[in-house]
Amino acid sequence: MLNKSEYFEPIDPDEKNDEFIAIESKSFFKDVCERFVKNKRAMIALVIFLIIALMAIFGPMISPYSYDGMDTAIMNQRPSAAHWFGTDRFGRDLFTRVLYGARISLMVGIVTAAINTIIGVIYGGIAGYVGGRVDMWMMRLTDILYSIPELLYIILIMLIFGSNVRSIIIGVCVAGWISMARMVRSQIITLKEQEFALAAFVLGANSRRILFKHLIVNSLGTIIVTVTLMIPQAIFMEAFLSFVGVGISAPMASLGTLAQDARTYLEIFPYQMLFPVAAICVTIFSLNFIGEGLNSALNPKGKR
Amino acid sequence: MTENVKENTPIIRVKELEKYFLAKRGYIHMSQYVKAVDGISLDVMEGETVGLVGESGCGKSTLGRTIMKIYEPTGGEIFYRGQNITKLSNKKMHNLRKSMQMIFQDPYASLNPRFTIGDIIEEPMVIHNMYTKAERKEKVYELLELVGLKPDHIRRYPHEFSGGQRQRVGIARTLALNPDFIVCDEPISALDVSIQAQIINLLEKIQDEQGISYLFIAHDLGMVKHISHKIGVMYLGHLVEFGDADEVYNHPLHPYTEALMSAAPIPDPKLARESKRIMLKGEIPSPLDMPTGCPFASRCPRCREECLAGPPIMVNVGDRKVACFDYL
Repeated sequence: MLNKSEYFEPIDPDEKNDEFIAIESKSFFKDVCERFVKNKRAMIALVIFLIIALMAIFGPMISPYSYDGMDTAIMNQRPSAAHWFGTDRFGRDLFTRVLYGARISLMVGIVTAAINTIIGVIYGGIAGYVGGRVDMWMMRLTDILYSIPELLYIILIMLIFGSNVRSIIIGVCVAGWISMARMVRSQIITLKEQEFALAAFVLGANSRRILFKHLIVNSLGTIIVTVTLMIPQAIFMEAFLSFVGVGISAPMASLGTLAQDARTYLEIFPYQMLFPVAAICVTIFSLNFIGEGLNSALNPKGKR
Repeated sequence: MTENVKENTPIIRVKELEKYFLAKRGYIHMSQYVKAVDGISLDVMEGETVGLVGESGCGKSTLGRTIMKIYEPTGGEIFYRGQNITKLSNKKMHNLRKSMQMIFQDPYASLNPRFTIGDIIEEPMVIHNMYTKAERKEKVYELLELVGLKPDHIRRYPHEFSGGQRQRVGIARTLALNPDFIVCDEPISALDVSIQAQIINLLEKIQDEQGISYLFIAHDLGMVKHISHKIGVMYLGHLVEFGDADEVYNHPLHPYTEALMSAAPIPDPKLARESKRIMLKGEIPSPLDMPTGCPFASRCPRCREECLAGPPIMVNVGDRKVACFDYL
């Protein structure tokens, strides 16, 4: 007979736990952040966006020129050391005006995204959670709103409240929350049949607790992605409205109005058009890449 | 096994319970319903485990969920300690939720992935405003120990645990409310065999210590026989046989129970070779279009003319109940 002890020896109690393998406890959002940071394109976009945002917020304060200070002596100057982006036909510093315009564009984007998110999440959450007839009527109402051309009521709102930032925000928000509401609703409908939602119900949780603590928390990922994609949409909408001339009126400027102003002298002074349009492009591009990066960080199983 | 079964009013009494799901709304024709639970009556006594078996789709889980009022019953009555809870609103059910709880089938889906284990176990106490914050924390540690988890698990998230551990978390969450009746909706079917035994032992230990009654839904016959005091056999929304666990398992009366029990694996190969497996022939009727006679008639080896005429009624055979024309 072989003696067992010749071949085996008892493991040292200290070593026993060396085999213990466990991944570090990570919260969901920590995990998401790590994946996001690893995504180079999204990180570059985030850095660019932060630079644009900081410049838009603080640039106009630091700049020696004001956005509406006219000076006929320096009309239509080309980009130079004094005026980085040149000046426009009233002799206003274009760099300051682009920064100022970016500030308004970003503000429109962020405020509308915030309003749309709040309305959309609550509306879609209730429709999805309650279901049945309530859901049917709530969604038909959104269908009706969605079927009216946006420009129509934006222009109507402009007529009533005047051409300013507030009317643009209201106009974009009237139907802007619908996509969010639809998205949240579909998420809630699938989540509410999950056993953890049933478990919460059986434990005695009320509808509000189940909806906000369990269902919406679990659809946060998709909500965040939709929000980041909503901001560039709103910026684009604002730029478009200002460009066609129903947006913000002078002397205030958004990126859209700057492009509109430059249109008349496009052949002579193309740089006046170039800079605001480039600013719109870079902002929207970076926001889209951030959204895409967040999407792949939040849904790692999705295609890269 | 039967030490702590007390003989008095049942903790749960289900009377002629019906749950129909609308399959197709009819305007000119009749609306079509799936009769998931169709006239089931059973009692669960204090400290007792009632096992519920039957093939997939026979309405076991629906019955459990209807008792928990996740689904509104279509007809019939549910009593908790003699109190009729059939028509109670969610608000009025709120306090009763502390006494009646449920353990879910899928430990991967039944825990909110965004909550830590501590949050999950604490939640029921938060919902019912039980204890102070510090006491709740204390209680969470107690419960973790009771179900065999470590105190440092409290900050972890469900995805870091195995199926068996998650099911323990689910059990701890249920026990936080000190229920005296728990519906176990196939709590072990998503786990592998070695873990199944651990969870069953845990459930039995808790029952011994706290005298909780279980309605134990499963399709593992051996496990159900092991844990249950009584067994109910379901077929297409009907209860076909109900009685003492050993009796039902060893001497089935209803032909469906007989077939079901003959399909249970026997660990001894010699005995297994000798035993005869009853193979059922015939089609399962569509749940949308149930036959007027006995629901099992189309597959029953003992089917006679009278079986097709009308549904059989539950009759007492000794201290057992069977729904079959053979025993009328």
